Amino acid sequence: MEKTFYNIFKTFFKVGTLLLGGGYVILPLLQSELVDKRDWVDNEELCEYYALGQSVPGVIAVNMSAFVGYKLMGFWGAVAAMLGIVAPSFLAIVIIAKMLDEIVGLKFIQSIFWGVGIGVLMLIFLAVKEMWMKSIVDKYTSWVFFFVFILSACCKVSPGILIVAAIFLGIFRESKRRVEAAKVAEISEDDES
Amino acid sequence: MILAQLFFEFFHIGLLSFGGGYATLPFLYHIAEFRHWYTAKQLTDMIAVSSITPGPIGINVATFAGFKTAGIIGSMIATASIVLPSFILVLIISRLLEQFKQNTYVRSIIYTLKPAGCALLAAVGVDMFVNSTNVLGMFLLVILFVLSLIEKRDPLFYLGISALAGIVAGLLGWVS
Repeated sequence: MEKTFYNIFKTFFKVGTLLLGGGYVILPLLQSELVDKRDWVDNEELCEYYALGQSVPGVIAVNMSAFVGYKLMGFWGAVAAMLGIVAPSFLAIVIIAKMLDEIVGLKFIQSIFWGVGIGVLMLIFLAVKEMWMKSIVDKYTSWVFFFVFILSACCKVSPGILIVAAIFLGIFRESKRRVEAAKVAEISEDDES
Repeated sequence: MILAQLFFEFFHIGLLSFGGGYATLPFLYHIAEFRHWYTAKQLTDMIAVSSITPGPIGINVATFAGFKTAGIIGSMIATASIVLPSFILVLIISRLLEQFKQNTYVRSIIYTLKPAGCALLAAVGVDMFVNSTNVLGMFLLVILFVLSLIEKRDPLFYLGISALAGIVAGLLGWVS
């Protein structure tokens, strides 16, 4: 299939429609649509974009689509891929949101929502568990977790402020490492002379 | 005025949420608390619906929250502004791909952001647990947890079980 704006949009629209229960399933979906059926990118590239998508803020599925779209057709490719991945989700919610207000008052629906609310809590715990295993690897990361958790849960500090603080901490940590590395290099030079 | 606020709130979620679709939730609960566009209970309902509709959950919830706040225009603005930072960053990074991957500052920032994002979501989880869970809910949660220990399943599996449990509890008159 040719890499036109419409075809890219259509492909990502299909993937967006099939994307159920969280964005993590996007990788296998894109593998089947882009690698197997269309041969637009190879598997290795796709996995790299998946990793890249996670290192950019925002919704992973959207980031990854934009990366792939850009690779396929530059700026407009990225626009087409993003519109495609977002559109099904947007349309579905706009239709449901209108109905939801009418049915949410029903007692039957309320008891479903009560149960599903607990299910959502479970999904959040599972997501935390998964993130924990990937991110808490040493003393430093444990302290970051601890402080952010306390400040957010107990002091209600805005998540935006905490993330910005974490970004600065990351910069500070790397600067410190560079200064120390420079010092070590200096000392070893002194030893040699 | 409310549209400008919507743009600002969702743009900054898109720019600062880290670690996938659920990473937007701490921001959205924070909005519920401070902007009063929707309640925390309504947000939980929105997340439940978003989990069973197509598309990334972050986009679904943004569309939903925008709709609750200012109708269809609100949902368009919320959705557009949550993806705009991604779009800009991806365009920049795509051009500087090699530098981005090898830069040690970028690596150190991501290394710090991952546990921070995890902690934010954990705080939301604990808050929800404390504020909205009664004995019956805790019982259901334990059952779901045990099920997840036996075998890891699709998110829809847990939502299906909990919806069924909700229906049964409703029929028995346990949910007020």
